[in-house]
Amino acid sequence: MQLLANVLIDGLAYGMVLFIIAVGLSVTLGLMRFVNLAHGAFAMIGGYAAALLTREAQWSFWIAVPVAVAATAALGAVLEALVLRHLYRRTELEQVLFTIGLSFFLIALTNALAGPQVQLIVLPPLLAQSVDLGFRTLPAQRLLVIAAGLVVAAAAAWTVTRTRFGIWLRAAVDHPDTAATLGIPIRTVQCASFAAGAALAGLGGVLGAELMPLEPYYALKYLVLVLVVVAVGGMGSLPGSLLAAVSLGIVETASKYLASDWGGLFFFLAMALLLAWRPNGLLKR
Amino acid sequence: MSTDSSAPRVAPAWRAPLVVIAIGSIAWWALPDQLGLLTRIAITALFVLSLDLVVGIAGLATLGHAALFGAGAYAAGLFALKASGEPLIGLAVGAGAGALLALASGAFLLRYHGFTFLMLTVAVAQIAASLAQKARDWTGGDDGLSGFTMGPLLGRFAFDLEGRTAALYAIAVLALGLYVARRVVDSPFGLAVRGIHESRARMAALGTPVLRRLLAMYTLAGALAGAAGALSAQTNAIVGLDSLSFALSAEALVMLILGGAGRLHGALIGAVVFTLLHHTAASINPYHWLFIIGAALMVVVLLPPQKAWDWLRSRLGTKA
Amino acid sequence: MSHSIRRSAAALTISAATTLALTSFGAAAQTVKVGIVGPFSGPFAHYGTLFKNGAEAYIASQGGKLAGKEVELIYRDTGGPNPGQTKTLVQELIVKDKVDYLGGFVFTPNAFAVAPLIQQSQTPTVIFNAATSAITDKSEFFIRTSYTLWQVTVPMAQWAAKNNIKKVVTAVTDYGPGIDAETAFKSEFAKQGGTVVESIRMPISTTDFAPFVQRIKASGAQAVYTFLPGGPPNLGFVKAYNENGLAKAGVQFLGTAEMDEFDLQKFGDSALGLTTAFHYSAAHDSPANKKFVEALKKKDANAIANYASVGAWDGMHVIHKMIEATGGQKDGLKAVAAARSLQWESPRGPVRIDPKTRHIVQNVYLRQVEKAGALLVNKEVQNFGPQIDYGLDK
Repeated sequence: MQLLANVLIDGLAYGMVLFIIAVGLSVTLGLMRFVNLAHGAFAMIGGYAAALLTREAQWSFWIAVPVAVAATAALGAVLEALVLRHLYRRTELEQVLFTIGLSFFLIALTNALAGPQVQLIVLPPLLAQSVDLGFRTLPAQRLLVIAAGLVVAAAAAWTVTRTRFGIWLRAAVDHPDTAATLGIPIRTVQCASFAAGAALAGLGGVLGAELMPLEPYYALKYLVLVLVVVAVGGMGSLPGSLLAAVSLGIVETASKYLASDWGGLFFFLAMALLLAWRPNGLLKR
Repeated sequence: MSTDSSAPRVAPAWRAPLVVIAIGSIAWWALPDQLGLLTRIAITALFVLSLDLVVGIAGLATLGHAALFGAGAYAAGLFALKASGEPLIGLAVGAGAGALLALASGAFLLRYHGFTFLMLTVAVAQIAASLAQKARDWTGGDDGLSGFTMGPLLGRFAFDLEGRTAALYAIAVLALGLYVARRVVDSPFGLAVRGIHESRARMAALGTPVLRRLLAMYTLAGALAGAAGALSAQTNAIVGLDSLSFALSAEALVMLILGGAGRLHGALIGAVVFTLLHHTAASINPYHWLFIIGAALMVVVLLPPQKAWDWLRSRLGTKA
Repeated sequence: MSHSIRRSAAALTISAATTLALTSFGAAAQTVKVGIVGPFSGPFAHYGTLFKNGAEAYIASQGGKLAGKEVELIYRDTGGPNPGQTKTLVQELIVKDKVDYLGGFVFTPNAFAVAPLIQQSQTPTVIFNAATSAITDKSEFFIRTSYTLWQVTVPMAQWAAKNNIKKVVTAVTDYGPGIDAETAFKSEFAKQGGTVVESIRMPISTTDFAPFVQRIKASGAQAVYTFLPGGPPNLGFVKAYNENGLAKAGVQFLGTAEMDEFDLQKFGDSALGLTTAFHYSAAHDSPANKKFVEALKKKDANAIANYASVGAWDGMHVIHKMIEATGGQKDGLKAVAAARSLQWESPRGPVRIDPKTRHIVQNVYLRQVEKAGALLVNKEVQNFGPQIDYGLDK
């Protein structure tokens, strides 16, 4: 019983981190049909920004994080407007090549500017403590991650289905020319969506920093995990990504508890089975 | 980067392999100090060539191709360790292992396409890597499979310190692989597969057994990838878990896109250019070579050499 | 010719020309060339920096020359565990650059891959880090100045048994040296009458250590013996240990390299009191160590003194002595013969090279993390005395 509770709690926390990072990629991949393999780099940049602000500039965590996320969004918007938008019409393979090149470049830049060491984000005392749940303790930071994941999921779902922006986005993706004739500002929608994806990546990088240490190779190291969540959840499906991330997080955690000498086997086995069963995503048919 | 698959190819299949042998021999003669690099380039080129059959010809983007390479490498290594150090039989064993794994995994994988297929190839490769790591007694785990020595090639040419035998061996196998690939791709079977790439529905409507054709091409690609893996095992006398890694699959895909997918020689060019670039940049600055590669990749996409060439020619006033 | 063939010819020519242009034309006969092979990029790039700092600081401390000869260090990047690439790089170092000595090596498969090359070319190779016992067996030209897991684990197991710790759980990273650590601890601890209640193996790619820490808690052991490869996993594991209240739950921390000076300050006060058994602490109180730390800081104010930089420092010392013994000429057999009888005062304490195994025999210390001023240090509380590589003993 204790084991089950442990698996669920640790699995949920790990899954939420995966979700927050992956949801931005699901947006760009699914809603914008742009293969952005530099997504991990945005997560890394968000994390590094928060680390720098809290450690060097000694800002409060609660101020540094929104600023870091906003900075990542701004960087995303600039990259999109200047460079990436020329790639929307290109083939997927070319998008892959370019964004991998961009990731390499950003890794090298991070290494050159900040060195190869792990960057720590200074947590406020509230988050640095451990919460005693009775049968075990849990770092408070994990609770924040779980809460944040749920908030992000709700906010993203609401934005896409209930706001005008969400309608514009869906229209712009499905029928760009018709949407343009209707007066929907396509370029603005594309740029804003990409920036939002980058912002979510940055947030994931910050919140996940306890589990996925911030170092220059971060940009590519965790990309596979994120792609897995997007694939299993279904491109563009936010509830799908949430379900996929939590399920896979629990599977991975369970394998660490029960069969850790098999490495990542069960994670990828579960992923293959889920994908084979629902190729278009968990919640799509 | 358009393919010229619409025009019927008339070049005979032996031309490209002869060019490879010519260039390879010149390099072998001119750079006796860097034959290790030359061998590595030839092996990588064969691997990326096998990837082109899947990605460029059949149109199936995969990030799990390293599983086939690794299967060939471990098979050849185990064969040398347990059975015999004869290189050519080991090469056949490696190619066979790659083909077998391709056949087995392809039967499952090829039912899917697009992003789903891509991620499933990742899963298969990672599962293979996990199993290889767990089966420590067979594969040596993280320490790698080593302790085997290769016998002389063709009974006469021993594998020497400078790598003279290894380099010629790898170039020869690459040329042979290229010949086989060229013959297959230019055959009616190859055309059918390219047709499937262009439109599955149309080919199915014509009565082509789509899955069987794709599986056959995937198996052939597996054989070539396995051969490349066997070459790697034999020339390095060690097989590491990196032969099954995601990084290897991703790097091969990058090389293929760089050189241009779908034309076979693009695979060779991409492999040569990327490996030389990496080697050169890393020896200049081992810390920051990633800058150069990252920038190069971005530049190649934004300014495709094709366009730059055309622009240059139009500026110089010569007819295209 | 079609566009594509012309493009490919251009690309090939440029690449070939660039490579040829970088061919070294051979330096003056007085220069001794040493190839340093290690990860300079990728997730383990910090090892490369540590090697570079240690090696170059040593040469500077000797006045810029070793045994009167100019020394040229040639660095080659292996990335991660990549035996094929390492072999290619070392082959080029031996055949093209004609290095006299090799140094470095972080990963076991990379060292295994070059064994036939160094054996055939008779190139003495000093291992600055790779810790699997079997490496020095693969070639008589391997000399090691780092450590092995058996070497540092056996005394820890003995100490644990003597201090009334009867039940231990081992938690190691699932790869060569980790398994060596687990095997070594289990065998020695059992010999001393203790029990290892559970052996946890953590996959090398693990980032979330919470499940493992929960397993450790649930195992009912009095202590956890651990080994991780260095860098982010170490940080993650120790943080998980602290955050999940293991110390409070009465599970003592028995480590090896986890309190590595490279990341030590990041743990903050939660690291105080953590016990490790290892062969080098930057806080080791000796003139030789002070000289080492000063030399490092002179080279780079941010340089860190830890087991990897001291491995490089002592490695260069061995190479220095080999150059001395051969008068700067390339003579592998003579050099290794001279290395076999070396003994000196290293920054870590008195050391010598075991003539039979060519592995460094050194003191292993019991350390606890304490505060010295504002910084955390590994204070040596007990000296277990000189330890050999027990892994080769069998």
